[in-house]
Amino acid sequence: MTVDTTLLLIAVSLALGFAAWLLFLWAVKSDQFDDVERPKHRMLDDDPEERGPGRTGSGG
Amino acid sequence: MRADRATAACSHCLLEVPETSAIRETIDGKEATFCCPGCMAIHALLRSEGLTGFYDRRGGWSPGPPETVRIPLDAFDGAVRASGRQAEADLVISGIRCASCVWLIERYLGGRPGILSTRVNFATGRARVSWDPSETGIEAVVLAIRALGYTPYPPDSLPAGDALRREASDLLLRFGTAAFLSMQVMLFTAGLYAGYFQGIDARYADLFRWLCFLLSTPVVFYSGAPFLLGALHGARHGAFGMDALVFLGAFSAYGYGAASLFLGGDVYFDTATMILTLILLGRYIEAVARSRAADGISRLVRLAPVMARKAIPDGRTVDVPVASLSPGDLVEIVPGERMPVDGNVVEGNSEADESMLTGEAAPVSKIAGDPVVAGALNGTGRLLVRVARTGADTVLSRVVQSVEEAQARKAPIQRAADRVARFFAPVILLIAAGTVFFGLHGGSLPHAALMSGIAVLVIACPCALGLATPLAVLVGTTSAQARGILIRGGDVLEQAAKVRCVLFDKTGTLTLGRPRLTDVEAIGIGREEALRLAASLESSSEHAIGRAIAKAYPADRRLPVQGFRAHPGEGIEGEIDGMRYLLGRPELLERFGVAIDSEASRAYAAHSAARRSAVLLSNGSKTLAILSTEDALRPEAAAAVSLLRASGTTVVMVTGDDPGVAARVAGGSGIDNVHARVSPEGKREEVRRARERFGPVLVVGDGVNDAPALAEADVGVAMGRGTGLAIHSAGATLITEDLLRIPALLALSRATMRVIRQNLFWAFSYNLAAVPLAVAGKLHPIAAAAFMVGSSLLVVGNSLRLRKGGR
Repeated sequence: MTVDTTLLLIAVSLALGFAAWLLFLWAVKSDQFDDVERPKHRMLDDDPEERGPGRTGSGG
Repeated sequence: MRADRATAACSHCLLEVPETSAIRETIDGKEATFCCPGCMAIHALLRSEGLTGFYDRRGGWSPGPPETVRIPLDAFDGAVRASGRQAEADLVISGIRCASCVWLIERYLGGRPGILSTRVNFATGRARVSWDPSETGIEAVVLAIRALGYTPYPPDSLPAGDALRREASDLLLRFGTAAFLSMQVMLFTAGLYAGYFQGIDARYADLFRWLCFLLSTPVVFYSGAPFLLGALHGARHGAFGMDALVFLGAFSAYGYGAASLFLGGDVYFDTATMILTLILLGRYIEAVARSRAADGISRLVRLAPVMARKAIPDGRTVDVPVASLSPGDLVEIVPGERMPVDGNVVEGNSEADESMLTGEAAPVSKIAGDPVVAGALNGTGRLLVRVARTGADTVLSRVVQSVEEAQARKAPIQRAADRVARFFAPVILLIAAGTVFFGLHGGSLPHAALMSGIAVLVIACPCALGLATPLAVLVGTTSAQARGILIRGGDVLEQAAKVRCVLFDKTGTLTLGRPRLTDVEAIGIGREEALRLAASLESSSEHAIGRAIAKAYPADRRLPVQGFRAHPGEGIEGEIDGMRYLLGRPELLERFGVAIDSEASRAYAAHSAARRSAVLLSNGSKTLAILSTEDALRPEAAAAVSLLRASGTTVVMVTGDDPGVAARVAGGSGIDNVHARVSPEGKREEVRRARERFGPVLVVGDGVNDAPALAEADVGVAMGRGTGLAIHSAGATLITEDLLRIPALLALSRATMRVIRQNLFWAFSYNLAAVPLAVAGKLHPIAAAAFMVGSSLLVVGNSLRLRKGGR
C-alpha cells in the first residue's frame, strides 16, 4: 500500500514538473518574455467600447 | 483661458501654432485647433474610431505632428512572411513614447478589416502584425500606422541586435529547462541525504538515483551545451576558462553519478545541475542587457529620415532619397519633420529639438546661419537648409559608429574566476590523472582507481569556486541599484574597482544642464519690479531661458499678460496693464525701434563675454533691465570631487565648451585638470590618453557627444536623464543624478572585489583540505557533501555582506 502511494506521489510530482516545463517552453516560444513593460499597462486599458454594456457607442 | 493669445495649442500634437496659420474646427460644440491638415486628419480618424481616449490617457505628452517624409511602400515587401491564409510582418515603429501609443496602434490596427492580430512591443518599438492576405496587405498596414502619425520602418535593424535577441531567448530556454529539472533533482537528492541518517529502503534509493540521473541528463547535455562548446573552443586554443571549469565540474559530478549507478557509490547529480542553473541565470541576465543596448542604438540610427525635400532652382521642391543629396544642395524642412542632413540654415526661423544628441530637453532656436544636425526634430517653422554632410558623415552616424566600434573592441567580460580557471583546471586534471595512475600502480582494481580519480574532480571542482565571483557581483550590483546606480554587466564592478582616473563631462554632468537666473540689473526701475515684469511675461514661455526667468518669481504674484507673442530665436512680447513690453535679445528690441542705451549694451556685452545668456527687458521706448542666466554647478559636485581625490583618484574635466566657461565650472568644483573645446571623437582620444597616464578610466557623461567616450572608457557612467545613446553606451547609470554616487560606486566595487578574493580564498582552502583526503580515498561521501554545502554557504554569506558594507 505505502509503496504504491509513494510511487504515485513521485509520478504526480514528475508530471506536474513536466507540465510546468511545457508551459514554460510555450511561453518562451510565443515570445511571452519579449516585452515585460507593456503588460503592466494593459490592465489599465478599457475594453473596446462597443463591447462594454451600458456604454455609449462610438460616435455617440 | 487666455483666449486673446496670439498662439494656440494644436489639439492633437500640442505644438504651439500662430493664430494666423491655425486651422479651426468646431467639434461637439467645442472648438479645436490644428497646426496642420495632418493633425486634423488624425484627430478626425480617432474620433470616427471612438479612440479619443488616447487624449485622456496620454497626460501632457505630445505625439508631435505627423512626419511627412516617407519611405516608398515597396521597401516593406521584404518584411512580409506569407504562409497560406495568413501573412505576417515585423515592423519597427518610430514615435512610440508611451503605453498610450501602443494602445492606440493595437486598438486601431485591430479594427481594420483583415487584420488578424497586432502586438506592439513597447520596450523595443517593434510590432508584429498578421493579416489575411485575401483581404488586406502590407501597404494597408503601413498606411494605417502612418495615418495615426507614427512612422513604420522595415525591420532592417542592425544584425547584431537580432543575433543578441536570439542569444538571450536561447539562454532563457536553457536556463528555464535547467531550473525546472534541478528542482526535481534536488527534491530526490534531499530524500537520499535524509536516507543516510534515517535509513532508506534500497529500492527507493535506487529509484531516486535513477530518477536523478534521468532528470539531470538534459541539464548537462542541453542546458550545459554552451559551456561544453566554450570549453572545447578554449581547449583548441590551449586556454581553459570559466566555461571549461564549469563544464568539468558539472560533467565530472554527472559522470561520477552515472558510473555509481552501475558500480555502486554515491551520486552528486544535484551539484551538476545546480551549478549549471545558477551560472546560466547570470548569462541570461547579461544577454538581455546587451540586446537592449543594441536595440537602443539601432533605434537611434533610424531617427534620420531616408527621404528629403530638395529645393530646385525654379523654386519648387522634389522628394529625393537622402543618399542622392550632395553637399551644397538645398533642402526644405517643414514643421515637425526630422532633419535629414547636417547643414546650415539659409532661410527660415524655427526651433529644433536636439535632445537625442545633446541631452538638452529645451528646443534650440534656429535662424539663418545656425547649424542643424541630422535626426533633430524641427519645431514650428519652415527651414531651408544648405546640406553640409549626409549619410554616414553626419554627426549622428559618426557618433553611432564610434560607439559600435568601441563596444565591439571592448574585451569580452574578464571574470576573476576566468584567470583562476586558467591554471586551476589543468592542475585539477593532473591531480585526478595522478590519482588514477597511482591507484592502479598501488594495486587497486581499475574501476576503484577510476572512481577515486573522478571523486577528486567532483570534490575539487567548483561549486564554491564557480559561485565565488558571480554571486558577489550579483549582490554588489543589486546593492548598487539600491543606492541609485544601475549597473549593466558584471564586468562593470570589476573594472570600477581598478579605476585610477575619473573624467567628467561638463554640461548636464557637473552642471545641472539647464539655465538658472543668476543676475537682474534694473535700469531706472526697482530690481523687484523688473523681475516681476519679466517673470510674468515669461510665464507661458516654452523656452528654457524663459522658464528659468519665470521660475525665479512666485507664480501667484505674477501679473496677468495679454497679447502674448513669441518671436522664435529673439524673444517675446506681451501687454501688462495696457503697457506693451519686449523681452529678448538686442535684435528684437532693435527691430521694434528701441534704442539700447550705453549702460545696457555694456552690461549685455559683459554677460556675453562671460558666456552667460542675457536678455533685455524693454517697455517699447527704453531698456528697463538686463537679466542673465547660466547653467549652474550641481551643488554636490565639489564634495564628490574632493571625495574622489581623497581616495587617490585623478579627476579630469573634458568639455566641448570654450575655455572660459570650462574654467569657471572647473574652479567651482575644484578640478584643475581641464580640457576644453573637445569634439566627441576628441573626448574618446582624451580617455585613451588619460588611461596611458593614470590607468583605468571612468567617464561620467550625459549627451550623445559623450557616447564615444563612455563606450571607450573602462567604466562609463551616464546621468539618469541623459540621452538614450549615452545610457546605452555606458556600463552604469546614475538614476538619482547625484554625483556623490560616483565615489560610492568606486567604494562598492572595491568592496565587491575584496569579497570575491575572500570567496576564492575560502573555496581554495576547502579544496586544499578536501582534495588530499579524496586522493587518499578517505573522504566519506557525506563529509564531502557537507563540505560542499559548507563552503557554498560561506561564499553566499560572505557575498551578502555587500548589502550592508561599502557604505
